Amino acid sequence: MMLHVDKLDKHFGGVYAVHNCSFELAKGKITSVIGPNGAGKTTLFNMVSGTIVPDGGSIRFNSKDITGLPAYKIARQGISRTFQLAKVFKNLSVRDNLLLAKQTTDDVLLAALKQVRFTKSLDVLAGELSYGQQRLVELARGLLFPHQLLMLDEPTAGVNPLVRREIAEILRNLRRQGSTIMLIEHDMDFVMGLSDHVIVMNEGTVLTQGPPGKVRNDPAVLEAYLGK
Amino acid sequence: MSSLAAQLITNGIIAGAIYALVASGFSLIYNVTKFMNFAHGATLALGAYFMFAFVSGHVPFWAAIILTLIATVIAGEVVNRVVYKPLRKRKASTAVLLIGSLSAMIFVNAIILAIWGADIKTIQLPWQNPVLNIGGVLITGVQVTIIMVAAVLLLGLWLLMKRSRLGIAMRAVMNNKEVAQTVGIDPERMYSITFALSSALAAVAGILIGIEQNLHPTMGTALVIKGFTGAVVGGMVSVPGAIMGSLILGLAENIGIWWLPSGYKDAIAFALLFIFLLVRPQGLFGKKTREA
Amino acid sequence: MALINYFIHLAVLIGIYAIFTVGLNIAVGFTGLLNLGHVGFFGIGAYTSALLALAGVPLWIAIPAAAIVAGISGLVLALPTARLKGDYLALAALGFTFIVGSVARNWTDLTRGPLGLPGIPRVVASTPLFLVIVVVLTVIIALAVHYLMKTRFGRTLQAIRDDELAAATLGYNTFLHKVIAMGISACIAGIAGALFAHYISFIDPSVFGIGDLILVLSMLIVGGLASIPGSIAGATIILLIPEPLRFIGFPSSLIGPMREILFALILLIIIIYRPKGILGKVDLQ
Repeated sequence: MMLHVDKLDKHFGGVYAVHNCSFELAKGKITSVIGPNGAGKTTLFNMVSGTIVPDGGSIRFNSKDITGLPAYKIARQGISRTFQLAKVFKNLSVRDNLLLAKQTTDDVLLAALKQVRFTKSLDVLAGELSYGQQRLVELARGLLFPHQLLMLDEPTAGVNPLVRREIAEILRNLRRQGSTIMLIEHDMDFVMGLSDHVIVMNEGTVLTQGPPGKVRNDPAVLEAYLGK
Repeated sequence: MSSLAAQLITNGIIAGAIYALVASGFSLIYNVTKFMNFAHGATLALGAYFMFAFVSGHVPFWAAIILTLIATVIAGEVVNRVVYKPLRKRKASTAVLLIGSLSAMIFVNAIILAIWGADIKTIQLPWQNPVLNIGGVLITGVQVTIIMVAAVLLLGLWLLMKRSRLGIAMRAVMNNKEVAQTVGIDPERMYSITFALSSALAAVAGILIGIEQNLHPTMGTALVIKGFTGAVVGGMVSVPGAIMGSLILGLAENIGIWWLPSGYKDAIAFALLFIFLLVRPQGLFGKKTREA
Repeated sequence: MALINYFIHLAVLIGIYAIFTVGLNIAVGFTGLLNLGHVGFFGIGAYTSALLALAGVPLWIAIPAAAIVAGISGLVLALPTARLKGDYLALAALGFTFIVGSVARNWTDLTRGPLGLPGIPRVVASTPLFLVIVVVLTVIIALAVHYLMKTRFGRTLQAIRDDELAAATLGYNTFLHKVIAMGISACIAGIAGALFAHYISFIDPSVFGIGDLILVLSMLIVGGLASIPGSIAGATIILLIPEPLRFIGFPSSLIGPMREILFALILLIIIIYRPKGILGKVDLQ
């Protein structure tokens, strides 16, 4: 198990965003975290990547306790992540965006871009790209950054179905190469067709988890999404 | 209590009241538009100089006050339309608006300098300014007026922001411009009203301070910095808080020079500003805002 | 003859302010730290070098020492303020400058307060020779900073400006980078301040004033953020534009205010209609 999350808590002004959340992440697998809006998925992500400090509980990555460490230290442990709204460095070229992840030759950068099906030039300013293109650059950057765990927050949000299929294919390729991926997603078909393991969150904690088939048919999951 | 201590405290309250006059208008703008309008100092100076011009032109005192208020409000709205509105249209950040306000401040100060010159001017009261002796403490009639006006402002602005429909509309715009529009509030109209109110407050401050002290073209700059400091100490997000903070600032300055050479009065203010910005940016009476 | 001297004088000032602006650009344009207190470092550099020189320290020690002191004060200011957001950082820096200015005005034993420090030794007696020195220094500093910003360190600063959170998730210690950027920026401002003191031969607490702050901010914004050539262009334009006023025949009492009005207008026009400035790479945010 690569990642152990144990009884994680986070509250904002008296309201729990995440409460008593525990799960484990297996190496070499794609794990999806799903759940209705407000379930605490992004907060959970933010705590694992160090963007937010947990109020309670612990996070262990490869047996090392990373709870509450600043984001840059956690990143250096080998966790790479992307964001719900693509965060590229707008005033820097695509090349510079990628070089920040890994100081390497143009050939390696181009290979990473090819992997995510990005076709424009390295010299283009990231801010001049369309949103979908920016997502691809952010994904390439996340892939280039030396990591053992890749965390993707809604990688298909706001992209058209064609790009969505391509992203699914990219992730399958990565798994074939042995990558460990954790993602947050709302698109059920995407999640069910791709994941090895699904974690369902509701109201800040883990409702249930298991292989896609089991989760899909679980009445508690249905109720969480619809029963409000 | 020794009469020296009592005098220092009284001086502190007077100074605090002066800063409160400045802080009230400054804080009002911040509370509706979320940016720090340093040009407020220049508006204040304009108010003082308008008053001077009317009084020198032998306009009767009370008429001069009314005319000054009108002229200053118009000037304030002009700056709003010419400088801030185009910046808002470009979705400028509050930092850019701050720089814009600094430019506006320089512009207005330069105009004042060009028209009226650099020499110090005074506004003559049509009657004698009485000096009162209350239990060994000296205080003038003008100073008492300033304190009373500050108190009225404290109450009035608190009522406005918390209880009146206008105040609620203003706070709605500050919290979320788009949502405010969905309930029929026009943000630009709110901004104009806010600037008008703020300019009127600046004019009142300019008139009173001009009478109490004197006039010079950059008088607004030092005052707006003090007013801003008072707002930070008390809490930028609350207009009454800004007024209370200004009072505390005035007291701190005047009590502080009990120990330090009097030239360091300003340094006390700046040190307070710096410390609060670092340690408690929400001020004494403000609430810590959540990271969006 | 007098005209040549006048142009040489202008050129020296342009050089000094260009250095100042380049330094400011590191903090504001490249790292995104809106430092409104930059004149503080200029003044610290000026006073430190002047005081050392007046105490007999040779200039080739005094000026670098002043630069180092300014740099250290930049680090000191950055430590508590680098975590603050936009406006609050700007104002804390401004507050810092006011405090230093107030100390300069009041610690009369050291600084002679409002009387200022006269008789500061010049670098060289000949102004044309000094101009050559200033130009050389300007070019060296400009090139050094320009190429520094193309290195990995410079790229990281720009990433922090564009999106600090994303930069952190790529493993960069953003706080440390911001502190260092402020330190370098302050050091360069200190060099400019020292050069200024040794050229004019007199400084007083007005170097810490708001007027100069807005002057340099204008140079930076008009020239364009994140562009070193822009900073030089900005300094040139802002210092040259008011000069024709001298020749138009305004009454002398109006020249001062007219200059200020021109600055204010230029700054306003740029931030409203062309926030990138003339050569800038980045919009003013």
